[in-house]
Amino acid sequence: MLVVLGALPFFLYVGVFLLLPIGVLAVEAFRATDPVTFEESWSTASIQAITEGPYRRAYVGSLQLSVITAVLGTVLGLALAIAVLRAKRGRLLRRMVLTASGVLANFGGIPLAFAFLAAIGSQGVVTALLTDTLGLGLGGFSLASMTGLALVYLYFLIPLMVLTIIPALEALRPQWREAADNLGASGWQYWRHVGGPVLAPPVIGAAMLLFASAFAAYATAKALVGSSVPLVTLQIADALSSNVVVGAENLGKALALGMVVIIGLVMVFYAWVQRRTQRWLS
Amino acid sequence: MRRSTLRTAVAVVTAGLTLTACGSDDGGSAGGSGSDAATATSAEDFGGMDALVEAAQEEGTLNVIALPPDWANYGEMLDTFSEKYDIEINSASPDGSSADEVNAVTSQRGQDRAPDVLDLGLSFARQAQAQDLLAPYQVETWDEIPDDQKDPEGHWYNDYGGYLSIGCNATIVAKCPTTMAELADPQYKGQVALNGNPTQAQAAFAGVWAAALANGGSLDDIGPGIDFFVDLKESGNFNPVESTPATVLSGETPISLDWDYVNAAQTDEMEAAGSTWEVHVPSDGLMGGYYSQAISKFAPHPAAARLWQEFLYSDEGQNIWLKGGARPVRLPAMEDAGTADADALGALPQVEGTAEFPSEEQEAAAKQVVTDRWNAEMSG
Amino acid sequence: MTALAEGVAGAGGVAPTTPVRPGRRGAGGWRYVVLAILGLYFLVPIAASVWFTIRDRGRGTLTARYYTGIPGAEGFAEAFTRSLVLAVLTVVLALLLMVPTVVLVNLRLPRLRITVEVLTLMPLVLPPIALVVGVRSVLSWAPDYFLNTPLAEAFFAIQEPSLPWILVFVYVVLALPFVYRALDAGVRGADLRTLTEAARNLGASWPRVLVSVVLPVLRTSVLNAAFLTFALVLGEFTIANILGYETFPMWILRIGGSLPQLSVAVSVLSLLITWALLLLISALDRRRGAKESS
Repeated sequence: MLVVLGALPFFLYVGVFLLLPIGVLAVEAFRATDPVTFEESWSTASIQAITEGPYRRAYVGSLQLSVITAVLGTVLGLALAIAVLRAKRGRLLRRMVLTASGVLANFGGIPLAFAFLAAIGSQGVVTALLTDTLGLGLGGFSLASMTGLALVYLYFLIPLMVLTIIPALEALRPQWREAADNLGASGWQYWRHVGGPVLAPPVIGAAMLLFASAFAAYATAKALVGSSVPLVTLQIADALSSNVVVGAENLGKALALGMVVIIGLVMVFYAWVQRRTQRWLS
Repeated sequence: MRRSTLRTAVAVVTAGLTLTACGSDDGGSAGGSGSDAATATSAEDFGGMDALVEAAQEEGTLNVIALPPDWANYGEMLDTFSEKYDIEINSASPDGSSADEVNAVTSQRGQDRAPDVLDLGLSFARQAQAQDLLAPYQVETWDEIPDDQKDPEGHWYNDYGGYLSIGCNATIVAKCPTTMAELADPQYKGQVALNGNPTQAQAAFAGVWAAALANGGSLDDIGPGIDFFVDLKESGNFNPVESTPATVLSGETPISLDWDYVNAAQTDEMEAAGSTWEVHVPSDGLMGGYYSQAISKFAPHPAAARLWQEFLYSDEGQNIWLKGGARPVRLPAMEDAGTADADALGALPQVEGTAEFPSEEQEAAAKQVVTDRWNAEMSG
Repeated sequence: MTALAEGVAGAGGVAPTTPVRPGRRGAGGWRYVVLAILGLYFLVPIAASVWFTIRDRGRGTLTARYYTGIPGAEGFAEAFTRSLVLAVLTVVLALLLMVPTVVLVNLRLPRLRITVEVLTLMPLVLPPIALVVGVRSVLSWAPDYFLNTPLAEAFFAIQEPSLPWILVFVYVVLALPFVYRALDAGVRGADLRTLTEAARNLGASWPRVLVSVVLPVLRTSVLNAAFLTFALVLGEFTIANILGYETFPMWILRIGGSLPQLSVAVSVLSLLITWALLLLISALDRRRGAKESS
C-alpha cells in the first residue's frame, strides 16, 4: 500500500499539469461568447466552424506538411544515422553528430527561420551567389511556401530522427549480418528476416515522433511564412492573440482540441500499424 | 500503518478544501492608496494634480503592457515618466497584442503584476468596456480630445494615430513606390510585405483597407483590397514573410507596409547599418488609425495609472508621441495653441487629402470580410 | 507503443554504448555522399547567419561588435539567468518526481508500467500550444472563482514574472518522456533488482538504497535526461510566449525587433556553446566510464 503511495506524486502531478489542462480545453471548446453581450454559453459553434473553410484548409495543410516532412525526415535521418555509424573514423564523427543532433533537435523558431532566410531567402547569401556567379537564381523557389517550410522543418526533424534511431541501429549487431552471410542469405533476405523486423518498430515509432513534432511546430512557421501557408498552430495563435478580431478565443480552443483529437487518432493508428507489422514480420 | 496513511490523506484533502472555501475578505487591490484612487474619475477627485502625484508616488510602481520602446517613441515616454515622478515602470509583454492585454486584465486580476493601463485597438477597447473591465477617467485636457475620439463617459480615449505607409529600403530598391498602385509594378517582385496577417495585425488590416480605397473600394467595401493583394500574390510581388526590422535590414522584405510612425522609427537603425530608409504615405489609399488608452478597473496601482494618463495627455507627453512620428490626438488643439513641437511636426511624412475613419459597424463588417476571405484566398 | 518509447530512450545518448565496427560490405561511397550533402545542408544556414552578424554594412568591413555586445545587451543577463534557473529547477523537479517512480515501477509495481508509459508518452505527441491553452484556462480560475483565498494566492505566486514556477511545472511535463525513458533504460540495463535486493539483504534502508545504490547506477541516464531537459527549457518558446514570460528565447525575439544582428548572434552563439558543452559532457563521461571498467 505504501508502495503505491510512492507512485502517487507522479500520478497527481500528471493529473494536475497534463490531464487537467487538456480536460479543461476539451470542455471550453464547447463554449461560445456572445459578441455583443459577452455572455458565455454552451455551443458547438466553434467546433462546427473549425471543420469548414479556412480552418479545414489549415488542418489539411498541417497534416500534409507533417506527413511529408515525417517521411522525408525518417528516410534522410536513417541514411545519416547509418552513414555515421559505419564510417571509418567512427567514434569522433559519431560523437559529434550525436551531440549536434541533440542540440539541433531543439533548435527552431525564429533563429532557424532567420538562418534560412539569411541563406536562401531572396537576399540570402546562397541566392546571391547563385545569381551573381552562375546567373541561375533559385529558379522561382520561394522559402515562404509549403516546400520551403518543409525544407526548414527537416533541420530539426532529421536530428530528431538520428537521435531516436541510433540506439536501435546499434542493437543491430554486425554478428547477425555475418551469421546470415555464413548461412548463405542474400542481402534482401537479411533485411526481410532479420534487419527489417528489428528495425521496423523503432523506425515507425520515430516516424510518428517526427510527425507529431512537425504537426505541433509553431514558432518556425510563424517566423517564416506568417500566415500564407495554412497551418493550424498559426491559426490558434492568431485566434488567441489578435489585434483585429475580438473574442476569437473559443475558436482557438476548438482548434487546439481538434489538434489533440487528430494526434490521438494518429496514435491509435500507429498502435494498430505496430501490431500488424509484428504479425507480418514474425 | 495503512489506517494512519488514510487519515493523513483525508486531513490533507480537507485542508485543501478549507483553504479554497474560506477566504479573507479584504479588497482585491494591493494598492496602498485604497479604493479611493480606484474610483477617481478626474484629478479633482484626488484634490488636485499635486495630490494625484503624491498618491501615485506613494504607490511607486506602474504596470504597463504591450508597449514596445520603438513604437511611437514609447521608450522615451516610459523613461521620461519614470524619471519625472520617480515611479518604477514594469513593462510586460512588449510584443503583446490587444487581445493579450484584455486577457491579462482578466486573468491576472488580483495579482500585483496585473496591468494598470492599456493601449488598445479601438474594437478591443469597446470590448473591454462591455466586459466592464475599465475604470472611467477624464484627464485635465479632456475637452481638447475630439468628441468622436473618446467614450463620452471616459472609459477609453484615443491617444495617437498614424497613416498606413510604405516603408522602403532605398539601398536595395532602385525606385521606391509612393502609391498603392505602384506596388503592382513588376520591378518589386518578391519585395512587398505586410507586418503580419490582417486578421491578427491592425496595421496589416489597415494595409488591406488602404489597398481597397486605392482600387475602387470604400469604407463600406474592403473587397477590392483583398483582390489587390491576391493579384500581388499571383504576380509574385507579395512576399509572405512578415516584415520585422531584421528582415527589413537583411533585405528580405525591403518594402514594408506598416503605420507611418512604426516605419519612421526604423530610419535611424537602418542608417546606422548603412541602408537608406524611405517612408511614404500613399496618396491613393489614405488609411488612418488611432489606438485607445484605458485604465483597468482592477489596476493594482490606480493612482499611478491616472497620473500616467495625465502625463500622456499633457503637452509634454503628446509631443513625445509626436517625436515618434505619431499624430497625438490633441494635435489640432496643440497646433492652434502653438504648443506642438515644430521640428517633430515638420518631420511627419507628407499627407495629401484628409482621411476618413471607419465607424464601428463599418469596421466590424470589414473584419468579417477579411476573416472570411484572407486565409482562404491568400494561403496555400 | 513501447517501440516508440524505446526509441526515445536513446534520445540524447551521450556515450556510445556498443563498439562501432566499420562496415566492410560494399562500396562505402554512398555514405560520404550522404554525409557531404547533409553536412552542407546543416552548415550553410548557420554560416549564413554568422555572415549576417559579422558584416558591418555601414563600413563594408567585418566586425565582431555584435558578439562582444552580447553580455552588455539590455535584458540579456536577466533573461539568460532566468532561463538557466528555470532549466535547473525543471531538471531537479523532474528527477525528484521520476527517479522514485521509475524505481518503483521497475521493482515493485510492474503492472503500473503500461499506464506510466502511456502517460509519459502523451506530452511527446501533444502539441505544446494545445497544452498551454488549457493551462491558461486553469490559471484563470483563480481570479474568476476563488479570488481572495490562499489558493488563489498560491496560483498568483507561481506566476511571478521574476521566477515563474508555472513554467517549471509545465516544462517538467514536457520533459517527462525523455526523463522517464532515459531513467527507465538505465534502470533496466543495470539490473537494479539484483542490486537493490543485495543492498536490502545487507540491511540498508530504502532511502539509503536510493542514494547509495540507485543514483550512482543511474548516473549516465540522469546525465542524459538532465541534458535533454536543459536543451528543451533553454529553447522552449511557445509556452513562454503564450503565458507571457521573458525567458531567453523570448528575449531573443524581443531584441530581434530592435537589434536584429545581436539577436542572430546570440542564437548562433547559444547553439555553438550548447554543442560544445554537450561534447564536453560526452567526452568526460566516456573517460569516467573507461576508468571504471578498467
